[in-house]
Amino acid sequence: MKLWKKKEFEEVEYEPKTVREILTEMKDTSELIVDLAYAALLFNSREIAEEVRLLEVQMDELKYQLQMTVMLAARGPEDAEKLAAVLQVANATEHISNAAGDIVALLKIPVKKRPFLSSLLRESDELISFIKVPEERAGKIEELYEKVSPGLRVLAVKRKKRWIYDPEDDFRIRGGDALVVSGAESAIQELKEYMGVKN
Amino acid sequence: MKEIEEKFLELKEKAELMLDLAYSSLLYDNRVIAREVYKLEDDVDREHEELQRLAIENVIDDRDVEKALLYVRLGAALEIIADSAREIADVTLRDMDMHPVFQKSLRDSDTVITSAIVRPDSPYVGKKLREIDLPGEFGAWIIAIKRNGVWKYGPDGDDKIESGDFIIARCPKETEDKLIEMLGKKIDWETYEE
Repeated sequence: MKLWKKKEFEEVEYEPKTVREILTEMKDTSELIVDLAYAALLFNSREIAEEVRLLEVQMDELKYQLQMTVMLAARGPEDAEKLAAVLQVANATEHISNAAGDIVALLKIPVKKRPFLSSLLRESDELISFIKVPEERAGKIEELYEKVSPGLRVLAVKRKKRWIYDPEDDFRIRGGDALVVSGAESAIQELKEYMGVKN
Repeated sequence: MKEIEEKFLELKEKAELMLDLAYSSLLYDNRVIAREVYKLEDDVDREHEELQRLAIENVIDDRDVEKALLYVRLGAALEIIADSAREIADVTLRDMDMHPVFQKSLRDSDTVITSAIVRPDSPYVGKKLREIDLPGEFGAWIIAIKRNGVWKYGPDGDDKIESGDFIIARCPKETEDKLIEMLGKKIDWETYEE
Protein backbone atom coordinates (compact mmCIF):
# COMPACT_ATOMS: atom_id res chain seq x y z
CA MET A 1 0.00 0.00 0.00
CA LYS A 2 1.23 3.43 -0.85
CA LEU A 3 2.44 5.59 2.00
CA TRP A 4 0.05 8.43 1.29
CA LYS A 5 -2.90 6.01 1.20
CA LYS A 6 -1.86 4.64 4.56
CA LYS A 7 -1.65 8.11 6.04
CA GLU A 8 -4.75 9.48 4.39
CA PHE A 9 -7.21 8.84 7.20
CA GLU A 10 -4.78 8.43 10.05
CA GLU A 11 -5.96 9.61 13.43
CA VAL A 12 -5.07 13.23 14.06
CA GLU A 13 -3.82 13.93 17.54
CA TYR A 14 -3.11 17.27 19.07
CA GLU A 15 0.55 18.24 18.99
CA PRO A 16 1.92 21.17 20.95
CA LYS A 17 2.94 23.40 18.06
CA THR A 18 2.42 27.11 17.68
CA VAL A 19 0.07 28.73 15.18
CA ARG A 20 3.12 30.42 13.72
CA GLU A 21 4.97 27.13 13.12
CA ILE A 22 2.01 25.41 11.50
CA LEU A 23 1.08 28.34 9.28
CA THR A 24 4.68 28.70 8.07
CA GLU A 25 4.87 25.00 7.32
CA MET A 26 1.62 25.14 5.38
CA LYS A 27 2.76 28.11 3.32
CA ASP A 28 6.13 26.54 2.54
CA THR A 29 4.53 23.23 1.64
CA SER A 30 2.00 24.90 -0.64
CA GLU A 31 4.88 26.39 -2.62
CA LEU A 32 7.00 23.24 -2.76
CA ILE A 33 4.09 21.01 -3.73
CA VAL A 34 3.18 23.03 -6.84
CA ASP A 35 6.77 22.95 -8.10
CA LEU A 36 6.94 19.21 -7.44
CA ALA A 37 3.67 18.70 -9.27
CA TYR A 38 5.01 20.37 -12.40
CA ALA A 39 8.23 18.37 -12.01
CA ALA A 40 6.25 15.10 -11.82
CA LEU A 41 4.48 16.00 -15.04
CA LEU A 42 7.62 17.22 -16.81
CA PHE A 43 9.76 14.22 -15.94
CA ASN A 44 6.89 11.75 -16.05
CA SER A 45 7.73 10.65 -12.54
CA ARG A 46 5.28 8.56 -10.56
CA GLU A 47 7.59 8.77 -7.56
CA ILE A 48 7.44 12.56 -7.45
CA ALA A 49 3.69 12.33 -7.93
CA GLU A 50 3.54 10.05 -4.87
CA GLU A 51 5.38 12.67 -2.87
CA VAL A 52 2.88 15.28 -4.01
CA ARG A 53 0.09 13.00 -2.76
CA LEU A 54 1.87 12.54 0.54
CA LEU A 55 2.34 16.29 0.99
CA GLU A 56 -1.32 16.77 0.17
CA VAL A 57 -2.26 14.35 2.94
CA GLN A 58 0.14 16.11 5.31
CA MET A 59 -1.50 19.43 4.49
CA ASP A 60 -4.88 18.02 5.52
CA GLU A 61 -3.36 16.94 8.79
CA LEU A 62 -1.69 20.31 9.34
CA LYS A 63 -5.03 21.96 8.82
CA TYR A 64 -6.54 19.91 11.62
CA GLN A 65 -3.55 20.68 13.83
CA LEU A 66 -3.99 24.36 13.18
CA GLN A 67 -7.72 24.26 13.89
CA MET A 68 -7.05 22.63 17.25
CA THR A 69 -4.29 25.03 18.14
CA VAL A 70 -6.38 28.01 17.14
CA MET A 71 -9.31 26.87 19.28
CA LEU A 72 -7.09 26.58 22.28
CA ALA A 73 -5.54 29.97 21.61
CA ALA A 74 -8.79 31.96 21.39
CA ARG A 75 -9.59 33.65 24.66
CA GLY A 76 -12.38 35.95 23.60
CA PRO A 77 -14.17 37.55 20.64
CA GLU A 78 -11.17 39.66 19.70
CA ASP A 79 -8.86 36.67 19.54
CA ALA A 80 -11.49 34.73 17.64
CA GLU A 81 -11.73 37.45 15.01
CA LYS A 82 -8.02 37.54 14.40
CA LEU A 83 -7.67 33.78 14.44
CA ALA A 84 -10.51 33.31 11.95
CA ALA A 85 -8.34 35.20 9.48
CA VAL A 86 -5.49 32.78 10.19
CA LEU A 87 -7.71 29.82 9.39
CA GLN A 88 -8.87 31.50 6.20
CA VAL A 89 -5.27 31.88 4.97
CA ALA A 90 -4.39 28.34 6.02
CA ASN A 91 -7.39 27.01 4.09
CA ALA A 92 -6.16 28.84 1.01
CA THR A 93 -2.76 27.12 1.25
CA GLU A 94 -4.55 23.80 1.58
CA HIS A 95 -6.57 24.51 -1.55
CA ILE A 96 -3.32 25.18 -3.41
CA SER A 97 -2.04 21.77 -2.42
CA ASN A 98 -5.26 20.27 -3.82
CA ALA A 99 -4.52 21.99 -7.11
CA ALA A 100 -1.09 20.33 -7.07
CA GLY A 101 -2.84 16.99 -6.57
CA ASP A 102 -5.02 17.73 -9.59
CA ILE A 103 -1.91 18.46 -11.66
CA VAL A 104 -0.25 15.11 -10.87
CA ALA A 105 -3.51 13.32 -11.66
CA LEU A 106 -2.69 14.25 -15.28
CA LEU A 107 0.02 11.58 -15.25
CA LYS A 108 -2.79 9.18 -16.06
CA ILE A 109 -2.87 10.62 -19.55
CA PRO A 110 -0.41 8.60 -21.66
CA VAL A 111 3.01 10.25 -21.83
CA LYS A 112 3.11 10.29 -25.62
CA LYS A 113 -0.01 12.43 -25.55
CA ARG A 114 1.67 15.20 -23.61
CA PRO A 115 5.06 15.96 -25.18
CA PHE A 116 4.04 19.57 -25.77
CA LEU A 117 3.98 20.19 -22.03
CA SER A 118 7.72 20.27 -21.52
CA SER A 119 8.28 22.80 -24.29
CA LEU A 120 5.36 24.79 -22.96
CA LEU A 121 6.59 24.89 -19.37
CA ARG A 122 10.01 25.83 -20.69
CA GLU A 123 8.47 29.16 -21.68
CA SER A 124 7.69 30.00 -18.05
CA ASP A 125 9.80 32.57 -16.24
CA GLU A 126 10.76 30.04 -13.60
CA LEU A 127 12.09 26.79 -14.99
CA ILE A 128 12.29 23.31 -13.53
CA SER A 129 15.16 21.13 -14.65
CA PHE A 130 16.54 17.64 -14.05
CA ILE A 131 20.34 17.68 -13.86
CA LYS A 132 22.94 14.96 -13.24
CA VAL A 133 25.80 15.62 -10.86
CA PRO A 134 29.28 14.57 -12.02
CA GLU A 135 31.76 13.17 -9.41
CA GLU A 136 33.80 16.37 -9.28
CA ARG A 137 30.77 18.47 -8.35
CA ALA A 138 29.86 16.55 -5.21
CA GLY A 139 29.34 18.82 -2.21
CA LYS A 140 26.78 20.61 -0.11
CA ILE A 141 23.73 22.10 -1.76
CA GLU A 142 24.52 25.51 -0.27
CA GLU A 143 27.74 25.51 -2.28
CA LEU A 144 25.63 25.51 -5.43
CA TYR A 145 23.76 28.54 -4.16
CA GLU A 146 27.06 30.30 -3.44
CA LYS A 147 29.02 29.28 -6.53
CA VAL A 148 26.31 29.17 -9.16
CA SER A 149 23.28 31.24 -8.13
CA PRO A 150 21.30 31.87 -4.97
CA GLY A 151 18.27 31.89 -7.22
CA LEU A 152 18.33 28.10 -7.53
CA ARG A 153 16.25 25.79 -5.41
CA VAL A 154 16.85 22.06 -5.18
CA LEU A 155 13.40 20.53 -4.89
CA ALA A 156 14.50 16.91 -4.86
CA VAL A 157 17.52 14.65 -5.20
CA LYS A 158 17.46 11.27 -6.88
CA ARG A 159 20.05 8.90 -5.49
CA LYS A 160 20.00 5.57 -7.32
CA LYS A 161 16.42 4.41 -6.75
CA ARG A 162 15.76 6.65 -3.77
CA TRP A 163 14.31 10.14 -3.74
CA ILE A 164 15.06 12.80 -1.17
CA TYR A 165 12.59 15.67 -1.21
CA ASP A 166 13.13 19.26 -0.11
CA PRO A 167 16.71 18.64 1.10
CA GLU A 168 18.31 20.97 3.63
CA ASP A 169 20.97 23.42 2.46
CA ASP A 170 23.75 21.41 4.14
CA PHE A 171 22.66 18.18 2.43
CA ARG A 172 25.61 16.59 0.61
CA ILE A 173 25.04 15.72 -3.02
CA ARG A 174 27.20 13.01 -4.55
CA GLY A 175 28.41 12.20 -8.02
CA GLY A 176 25.74 10.22 -9.82
CA ASP A 177 22.89 11.97 -8.01
CA ALA A 178 20.33 13.77 -10.13
CA LEU A 179 18.74 17.02 -9.00
CA VAL A 180 15.32 18.48 -9.65
CA VAL A 181 16.00 22.20 -9.54
CA SER A 182 13.90 25.29 -10.04
CA GLY A 183 15.19 28.73 -10.88
CA ALA A 184 15.39 31.55 -13.38
CA GLU A 185 16.46 30.61 -16.89
CA SER A 186 19.90 32.20 -16.48
CA ALA A 187 20.52 30.42 -13.18
CA ILE A 188 19.50 27.05 -14.62
CA GLN A 189 21.77 27.69 -17.59
CA GLU A 190 24.72 28.43 -15.29
CA LEU A 191 24.01 25.33 -13.27
CA LYS A 192 24.02 23.22 -16.41
CA GLU A 193 27.40 24.62 -17.37
CA TYR A 194 28.70 24.05 -13.84
CA MET A 195 27.54 20.43 -13.96
CA GLY A 196 28.99 19.97 -17.45
CA VAL A 197 25.63 19.36 -19.11
CA LYS A 198 25.74 19.88 -22.85
CA ASN A 199 22.70 21.49 -24.36
CA MET B 1 3.51 30.10 -30.30
CA LYS B 2 -0.05 28.95 -30.65
CA GLU B 3 -2.85 30.99 -29.14
CA ILE B 4 -3.74 28.31 -26.61
CA GLU B 5 -0.16 28.04 -25.40
CA GLU B 6 0.04 31.78 -24.89
CA LYS B 7 -3.26 31.78 -23.06
CA PHE B 8 -2.11 29.00 -20.75
CA LEU B 9 1.18 30.73 -19.88
CA GLU B 10 -0.62 33.99 -19.27
CA LEU B 11 -2.98 32.23 -16.91
CA LYS B 12 -0.11 30.52 -15.09
CA GLU B 13 1.83 33.72 -14.62
CA LYS B 14 -1.23 35.63 -13.46
CA ALA B 15 -2.14 32.99 -10.89
CA GLU B 16 1.43 33.07 -9.54
CA LEU B 17 1.47 36.86 -9.43
CA MET B 18 -1.84 36.86 -7.59
CA LEU B 19 -0.40 34.68 -4.85
CA ASP B 20 2.62 36.95 -4.44
CA LEU B 21 0.36 39.99 -4.32
CA ALA B 22 -2.02 38.32 -1.87
CA TYR B 23 0.78 37.55 0.57
CA SER B 24 2.15 41.07 0.07
CA SER B 25 -1.22 42.59 0.90
CA LEU B 26 -1.34 40.50 4.05
CA LEU B 27 2.21 41.30 5.11
CA TYR B 28 1.81 45.03 4.62
CA ASP B 29 -1.91 45.17 5.46
CA ASN B 30 -2.38 46.92 2.12
CA ARG B 31 -5.87 47.14 0.66
CA VAL B 32 -4.80 48.61 -2.66
CA ILE B 33 -2.77 45.50 -3.44
CA ALA B 34 -5.55 43.24 -2.15
CA ARG B 35 -8.01 44.90 -4.52
CA GLU B 36 -5.62 44.23 -7.39
CA VAL B 37 -5.79 40.54 -6.53
CA TYR B 38 -9.56 40.70 -6.91
CA LYS B 39 -9.20 42.46 -10.24
CA LEU B 40 -6.75 39.85 -11.49
CA GLU B 41 -9.10 37.10 -10.38
CA ASP B 42 -11.70 38.49 -12.78
CA ASP B 43 -9.09 38.39 -15.55
CA VAL B 44 -8.21 34.82 -14.66
CA ASP B 45 -11.86 33.75 -14.77
CA ARG B 46 -12.22 35.24 -18.23
CA GLU B 47 -8.95 33.81 -19.51
CA HIS B 48 -9.79 30.41 -18.13
CA GLU B 49 -13.02 30.44 -20.11
CA GLU B 50 -11.09 31.44 -23.23
CA LEU B 51 -8.61 28.61 -22.63
CA GLN B 52 -11.45 26.11 -22.41
CA ARG B 53 -12.96 27.46 -25.61
CA LEU B 54 -9.64 27.29 -27.45
CA ALA B 55 -9.06 23.73 -26.25
CA ILE B 56 -12.43 22.67 -27.61
CA GLU B 57 -11.84 24.46 -30.91
CA ASN B 58 -8.51 22.67 -31.24
CA VAL B 59 -10.11 19.27 -30.79
CA ILE B 60 -12.38 19.98 -33.71
CA ASP B 61 -9.27 20.60 -35.82
CA ASP B 62 -6.82 17.96 -34.63
CA ARG B 63 -9.03 15.46 -32.77
CA ASP B 64 -6.42 15.27 -30.02
CA VAL B 65 -8.75 14.79 -27.06
CA GLU B 66 -6.00 14.14 -24.48
CA LYS B 67 -4.22 17.34 -25.34
CA ALA B 68 -7.38 19.36 -24.92
CA LEU B 69 -8.08 17.57 -21.66
CA LEU B 70 -4.63 18.49 -20.37
CA TYR B 71 -5.18 22.15 -21.09
CA VAL B 72 -8.62 22.14 -19.52
CA ARG B 73 -7.44 20.37 -16.37
CA LEU B 74 -4.31 22.48 -15.99
CA GLY B 75 -6.46 25.55 -16.44
CA ALA B 76 -8.75 24.34 -13.67
CA ALA B 77 -5.77 23.81 -11.34
CA LEU B 78 -4.56 27.34 -12.05
CA GLU B 79 -8.03 28.65 -11.35
CA ILE B 80 -7.90 26.98 -7.91
CA ILE B 81 -4.58 28.69 -7.21
CA ALA B 82 -6.00 32.04 -8.30
CA ASP B 83 -9.05 31.51 -6.08
CA SER B 84 -6.77 30.69 -3.16
CA ALA B 85 -4.95 33.97 -3.69
CA ARG B 86 -8.29 35.75 -3.60
CA GLU B 87 -9.17 34.00 -0.34
CA ILE B 88 -5.98 35.38 1.17
CA ALA B 89 -6.55 38.90 -0.14
CA ASP B 90 -10.04 38.70 1.30
CA VAL B 91 -8.57 38.79 4.80
CA THR B 92 -6.84 42.09 4.02
CA LEU B 93 -9.99 43.63 2.59
CA ARG B 94 -12.19 42.67 5.55
CA ASP B 95 -10.47 45.22 7.71
CA MET B 96 -10.03 42.74 10.52
CA ASP B 97 -7.35 43.41 13.05
CA MET B 98 -4.34 41.67 11.57
CA HIS B 99 -3.02 38.85 13.66
CA PRO B 100 0.71 39.41 14.28
CA VAL B 101 1.29 35.76 13.35
CA PHE B 102 0.96 36.67 9.66
CA GLN B 103 3.99 38.92 9.76
CA LYS B 104 5.97 36.36 11.72
CA SER B 105 5.01 33.39 9.58
CA LEU B 106 5.69 35.22 6.35
CA ARG B 107 9.09 36.20 7.74
CA ASP B 108 9.85 32.60 8.77
CA SER B 109 9.11 31.21 5.30
CA ASP B 110 11.76 29.85 2.96
CA THR B 111 10.96 32.62 0.52
CA VAL B 112 10.14 36.03 1.92
CA ILE B 113 8.46 39.12 0.60
CA THR B 114 10.43 42.28 0.99
CA SER B 115 10.25 45.90 -0.11
CA ALA B 116 12.63 48.78 -0.78
CA ILE B 117 12.79 52.34 -2.03
CA VAL B 118 15.35 52.70 -4.81
CA ARG B 119 18.15 55.12 -3.96
CA PRO B 120 19.36 57.58 -6.66
CA ASP B 121 22.81 56.00 -6.79
CA SER B 122 21.62 52.39 -7.04
CA PRO B 123 23.48 50.63 -9.87
CA TYR B 124 20.09 49.52 -11.17
CA VAL B 125 18.67 52.98 -11.84
CA GLY B 126 17.67 53.41 -15.49
CA LYS B 127 18.22 49.72 -16.21
CA LYS B 128 15.68 47.32 -17.64
CA LEU B 129 14.75 44.36 -15.46
CA ARG B 130 15.97 42.07 -18.21
CA GLU B 131 19.44 43.60 -18.02
CA ILE B 132 19.87 43.23 -14.28
CA ASP B 133 18.38 39.71 -14.08
CA LEU B 134 17.43 39.77 -10.41
CA PRO B 135 15.92 36.26 -10.60
CA GLY B 136 19.27 34.85 -11.76
CA GLU B 137 21.39 37.00 -9.48
CA PHE B 138 19.44 36.81 -6.23
CA GLY B 139 16.52 34.53 -6.93
CA ALA B 140 14.47 37.70 -6.55
CA TRP B 141 11.25 38.27 -8.48
CA ILE B 142 9.75 41.71 -8.57
CA ILE B 143 6.08 41.60 -7.67
CA ALA B 144 5.18 45.27 -8.00
CA ILE B 145 6.68 48.70 -8.57
CA LYS B 146 5.09 51.95 -7.43
CA ARG B 147 6.13 55.11 -9.24
CA ASN B 148 4.55 58.54 -8.77
CA GLY B 149 1.74 56.97 -6.81
CA VAL B 150 0.87 54.44 -9.49
CA TRP B 151 1.39 50.71 -8.99
CA LYS B 152 2.63 48.47 -11.75
CA TYR B 153 1.96 44.82 -10.92
CA GLY B 154 4.04 41.97 -12.32
CA PRO B 155 6.45 44.10 -14.37
CA ASP B 156 8.15 42.45 -17.36
CA GLY B 157 11.70 42.47 -18.68
CA ASP B 158 11.28 45.76 -20.52
CA ASP B 159 10.24 47.69 -17.42
CA LYS B 160 12.92 49.90 -15.92
CA ILE B 161 13.92 50.70 -12.38
CA GLU B 162 14.04 54.39 -11.49
CA SER B 163 15.27 56.34 -8.51
CA GLY B 164 12.57 56.64 -5.85
CA ASP B 165 10.70 53.55 -7.08
CA PHE B 166 8.94 51.63 -4.45
CA ILE B 167 9.56 47.95 -5.00
CA ILE B 168 8.01 44.78 -3.60
CA ALA B 169 9.88 41.55 -4.34
CA ARG B 170 9.93 37.87 -3.44
CA CYS B 171 13.29 36.25 -2.75
CA PRO B 172 15.03 33.58 -0.65
CA LYS B 173 15.68 34.73 2.91
CA GLU B 174 19.43 34.41 2.32
CA THR B 175 19.62 37.06 -0.41
CA GLU B 176 17.19 39.58 1.03
CA ASP B 177 19.81 41.83 2.64
CA LYS B 178 21.99 41.92 -0.46
CA LEU B 179 19.03 42.72 -2.68
CA ILE B 180 17.90 45.58 -0.45
CA GLU B 181 21.44 46.92 -0.28
CA MET B 182 21.67 47.02 -4.08
CA LEU B 183 18.29 48.69 -4.46
CA GLY B 184 18.27 51.22 -1.67
CA LYS B 185 16.69 51.02 1.71
CA LYS B 186 14.03 48.93 3.32
CA ILE B 187 10.58 50.46 3.62
CA ASP B 188 9.28 51.08 7.08
CA TRP B 189 5.62 50.25 6.61
CA GLU B 190 4.78 51.40 10.12
CA THR B 191 5.36 55.00 9.14
CA TYR B 192 4.54 54.69 5.45
CA GLU B 193 1.26 56.09 4.18
CA GLU B 194 -0.47 55.23 0.94
